[in-house]
Amino acid sequence: MAKRLRIASALGAVVILVSACSSSTPTPSPATAAPPATAAPATAAPASTAPESAAPASEAPASAAPAALNLPKVPTGYSELDKALGADQPYKGKKVSIQTQWTGGEGEGFAAAIKDFAAATGIAIQVDSIGSSHETVLKTRIEGGSPPDMAALAQPTGVLAYAKEGKVIDLATFMDPAKLKGDFPSTIGLTSVGDHIWSIPTKADVKSMIWYPVKAFAAKGYTVPKTWDELVALADKIVADGSHPFCVSAGGPGTATGWELTDWVEEVLLKTEDPQVTNDWISHKIPFTDPKIKAAFDKVGSLLFKDGYVDGGGQAIVNADLKTVMDPMFNQDTAAPGCWMQKIPVWYGPDFFPDKRTSGTASKYKIGDDGDIGIFPFPTISDTYKGAEGSADSFMVLADRPEVRAFAEFLATPEGLEGWIKSVGVLSPNVHVPAEWYADNYKLKVANAIATGATAIGFDASDLMPPAVGQGSFWTGISDWANANGSNTDSVLQAIDDSWPK
Amino acid sequence: MAVERTQGSGSYGTSRTVLVVSLIGLVLAAIGISILIDKQGGQKLLASVYDLLGNSAGAEALRNGQGDQFFAKLLLVAIALFVGVGGIWLLFTGVSALVERLRPALRDRLLPLVFIAPAVVLLGIYLVYPAVRTIIGSFQDENGAFTLANWASLATPPFLEILRNNVLWLVIGTSGSVGLGLLTAALFDRIRRESLAKIFVFTPLAISLVGATVIWKFVYAWQPASQPQFGLLNAIWTGLPFGFQPIPWATQFPINLPSEMLILIWLQTGFAMVVFSAAIKGVSSEIIEAARLDGANERQLFRKVIVPMIRGTIVTVTTTVAIVTLKIFDIVMSVSGGRNHDDVVAVRMFAEMFQFFNDGRAAALATVLFIAVLPVMIVNLRNFRRQAAM
Repeated sequence: MAKRLRIASALGAVVILVSACSSSTPTPSPATAAPPATAAPATAAPASTAPESAAPASEAPASAAPAALNLPKVPTGYSELDKALGADQPYKGKKVSIQTQWTGGEGEGFAAAIKDFAAATGIAIQVDSIGSSHETVLKTRIEGGSPPDMAALAQPTGVLAYAKEGKVIDLATFMDPAKLKGDFPSTIGLTSVGDHIWSIPTKADVKSMIWYPVKAFAAKGYTVPKTWDELVALADKIVADGSHPFCVSAGGPGTATGWELTDWVEEVLLKTEDPQVTNDWISHKIPFTDPKIKAAFDKVGSLLFKDGYVDGGGQAIVNADLKTVMDPMFNQDTAAPGCWMQKIPVWYGPDFFPDKRTSGTASKYKIGDDGDIGIFPFPTISDTYKGAEGSADSFMVLADRPEVRAFAEFLATPEGLEGWIKSVGVLSPNVHVPAEWYADNYKLKVANAIATGATAIGFDASDLMPPAVGQGSFWTGISDWANANGSNTDSVLQAIDDSWPK
Repeated sequence: MAVERTQGSGSYGTSRTVLVVSLIGLVLAAIGISILIDKQGGQKLLASVYDLLGNSAGAEALRNGQGDQFFAKLLLVAIALFVGVGGIWLLFTGVSALVERLRPALRDRLLPLVFIAPAVVLLGIYLVYPAVRTIIGSFQDENGAFTLANWASLATPPFLEILRNNVLWLVIGTSGSVGLGLLTAALFDRIRRESLAKIFVFTPLAISLVGATVIWKFVYAWQPASQPQFGLLNAIWTGLPFGFQPIPWATQFPINLPSEMLILIWLQTGFAMVVFSAAIKGVSSEIIEAARLDGANERQLFRKVIVPMIRGTIVTVTTTVAIVTLKIFDIVMSVSGGRNHDDVVAVRMFAEMFQFFNDGRAAALATVLFIAVLPVMIVNLRNFRRQAAM
């Protein structure tokens, strides 16, 4: 009998052999799907949008009280979105999987933004919030052939790289390019090549802001500086009063070291030179060693590396962790703050405040001119050039299905971000977002004022340079520069320039 | 090694049972594979099971990508296990049954091949093919055309610095771990509570590299001189009565290199010690006694008798640790990501691949690592073979 079984299995073996190669492709797919789910256990709560439960129970017909929902009015100007929002819910039960780097408050905000869309259309949105390893996981999924339907990226260079590999769906094939250009005049061009549009700008950040302790400023009689000279004068006064004016971190999150310092340089460049200089710098028409770039480095160095301006000097900047660097500002209730000013973008907020970080409960510190922590626009330097620095995360579409198109189109409408704007607070790059949506949120109001008051908006230069420079040698070099307290500017600039891909 | 086999007892014809069983096997395997190939296979199968059980709502939800997704996935796992394990069984027993009906001379030559073939095929798919593909990739630009630029770029200063760091890791990390391991093993051999002492040295090995790095980052933590130092090392350093300034052990070149290597040495010393300790105990007491009688003092005994006797073990341990240091990734990645002149090949390879989109250069770095590890592997294998021969 054993013998007979053997022969039987011999025939079966042939089948296995033939199929062994082909079956190796599909079986890994559940395995590759697993990492996103397991990699972000801490963020599972905000990520799960629970569309099934939200949909049917409370809001019975789709027509009920549309005014209260964060949804665009039909016709929206986008065909698939109009269809999806129809009363017959043609895409009910379909699923759209997306991957983002937004965790914590940003994750909650995004969940709030898409909740009503999921409820109204019946499309389930599965969000994988990966956090700091987002780009690694995304690349593995895309190159491995099982990408999410859509993915957010902070760096336009990443979007363009995937587009060049042919992995991204051209938005111009199903959305009106003229409409997109009208809605996102300053950002859509960053990920457009010729007639192709590779991503939808989704979340804008204004970086030209300085956060400060309101109560301590009032107690000491300090006033918010409007110009660079006033900033230096204030810093001198703070040093004379026995404290340190600036908190700066070139460490983190994760291994993303150095971006706070590169932001400083980019900011100063936008405020001292024509925006064209920044553009030329990004496209390497002028090298890092150009006198204008060096001047920006020197100006930042003259401020941050001056004795006493940052507690511990350049070494402290390299060592400081982004999460904790502003902590000394929060002892203003009991003593003089250990540092007074941090330049950090609008996405910063209570998630990073020390009490929220340690306890996990809502921070007791309020952001506002009448609260604990205030924000003022980065002081002007030149009378002519008053540019502001910004950046934007954008969404790539990686799978061409009607329900994915509908969701992409939803995100391109002003209402696509309404839930996020009104809950946690975020800036939309869509110019048709009404200003009153921002009115209730202090930091968005300040950011909006900065953006509208600027003579030009410069996109984060390091995010537009080749990644090997913008996230590589520029960060390494500027850490080097800080460790040496700015004494090696020329050699650092030369080294960064040498690393530019030929 | 020719083993005499009994001839199969007259089952040369194809009987009906064999046909039926083989057909069932074929059908089952085909069904299993077709389910595995279909992206929605698990859901569809579970949905039809639900239909049979009369749970049409559950089946409908599953077909729409909702409902009991978890069980659908579990079902897939079960089928994969069944097809995989059953398939291997079919493969081995089936092919060997086929081969056994051949002429004895041919059979004895083919049978070993049958048994190693699956391993060779799998190694080919998962090891040889990727390795070859990587080497080819290192000579390709982003459009797939032939180029030497990836290799040329490795000769530029930033990459030479990376290679220098790897050499330092290899030399200092390996000699530190092996030297300290040998020293502790020899010393602990003489003390009364030997196992207790060994536990203290050995325990760190149970900690992952990343975990150990997190621990040591607290030891190395740095605060401005005006602030209290919570980093252990700086607390001691600034507490000394010489008025020392705190040192950023983990972030300032060049002190960060030995700081990072110390983490690995802390981990690997335990491994080296345990292996050496066993080898030292294996040196027969007659030899040691004879050396003592001949007037050897303890130092001579160690250097001229014990070390030569355990030479093979030393080579094995050294090559093992050397491979770990060559491939070092976790520690550097967790300390700084290699941004303070402490970059190493593996970290840069990761950055080139996932951050800089330079797949070709990442492939070149991977090949460098491969070439660097190769001679160490060969030494190790030769040593194994020599020991096996002894």
